[in-house]
Amino acid sequence: MKHLSEEQLNEYLDHESRERDQIELHLSTCDKCTTRLAALQTLFTELDSLPELILVHDLAAPVMRRVSGYSVLPKWLTLTMALQAALAVITSLIAAPFMIEFTTERMPVFQMSSFTETLFQLQTQWEAWQEAISTFQIPSLPEIPTLQIPTLVILFTLAGASMLWLVGNGLLLRNQIK
Amino acid sequence: MDAPSDRDLILNARHGDTAAFGELVTRHQVGVFNVCYRILHEHGEAEDMAQESFIRAHARLESFDIERPFGPWIRRVAANVCLNHLETQKSTAELDDEKDAGESTSPEKQVEVKERSEQIRSALASLPANYRAVVELRHYQEMSYDEIASELNIPLSDVKSNLFRARKLLAEKLK
Repeated sequence: MKHLSEEQLNEYLDHESRERDQIELHLSTCDKCTTRLAALQTLFTELDSLPELILVHDLAAPVMRRVSGYSVLPKWLTLTMALQAALAVITSLIAAPFMIEFTTERMPVFQMSSFTETLFQLQTQWEAWQEAISTFQIPSLPEIPTLQIPTLVILFTLAGASMLWLVGNGLLLRNQIK
Repeated sequence: MDAPSDRDLILNARHGDTAAFGELVTRHQVGVFNVCYRILHEHGEAEDMAQESFIRAHARLESFDIERPFGPWIRRVAANVCLNHLETQKSTAELDDEKDAGESTSPEKQVEVKERSEQIRSALASLPANYRAVVELRHYQEMSYDEIASELNIPLSDVKSNLFRARKLLAEKLK
């Protein structure tokens, strides 16, 4: 008589066998395989009935601390952040032309000089400083140019920046305090 | 007033209610810890991985199907976390002093059960990691062969051979 294989017995007890009827028929006539099946069943029972260990430390508190650190933001707050970003872009676009105009008018065009010219300039500068120090005269500062930005733009920019700060930081801080 | 169901707690947690998720942790932490301990067999590590499992579950809460029971899902997450951890560690875990429920002043029967439980855990701990994985997923997560193969990303034939071989080794150790 050909006995059942280990694979057949395991699959039978796991309810994964496709030949249950044949296996049961064999078991009904084979004491050896019935004994082997019973031993395997005992092992299954022992494994499945292994008692749970008690948990010494409560995990809820540390998990909640870590989860609170990066809790999921509500959708309305996410929308506020998107609005913040949009306002920041709009404010930058409004202010950008004035900044560009200011910088192009005020910034000097630099030209790279040769090494000899650079040395000559340094020497000239050094002599000028020597003269200034000897006569105790402080070199005159360049005149600070006045900005010609419309008042309305300044106010709008300030208002937008303030709103961004209040809405963004205030709401985010409030969410963290919760 | 009845306690809120797991489903209600999950819905509240999705809306930012941290306390609701804390309640879920409290309800399922013992089961999750035991999954981790069966795989890792080190108390401190099991607690750490149990925490990680809940953190990962929280990150995936939006995609969780609330019509499914939370318990089996979080235990599978825990099994995944621990098996990945085992892969990175690839070390033999040392057994800790184990505390079964009702250990301190046990009647004779409980002592006998505790001793046998320790033998079983010792036998499980002696298995190679890949054998331990299939035993955990089959006996404690109640997954089918196909589900185990999918979970571990191994062929079905490997699932069977590892599982049957693991059981044979356990039977020899527990004689």
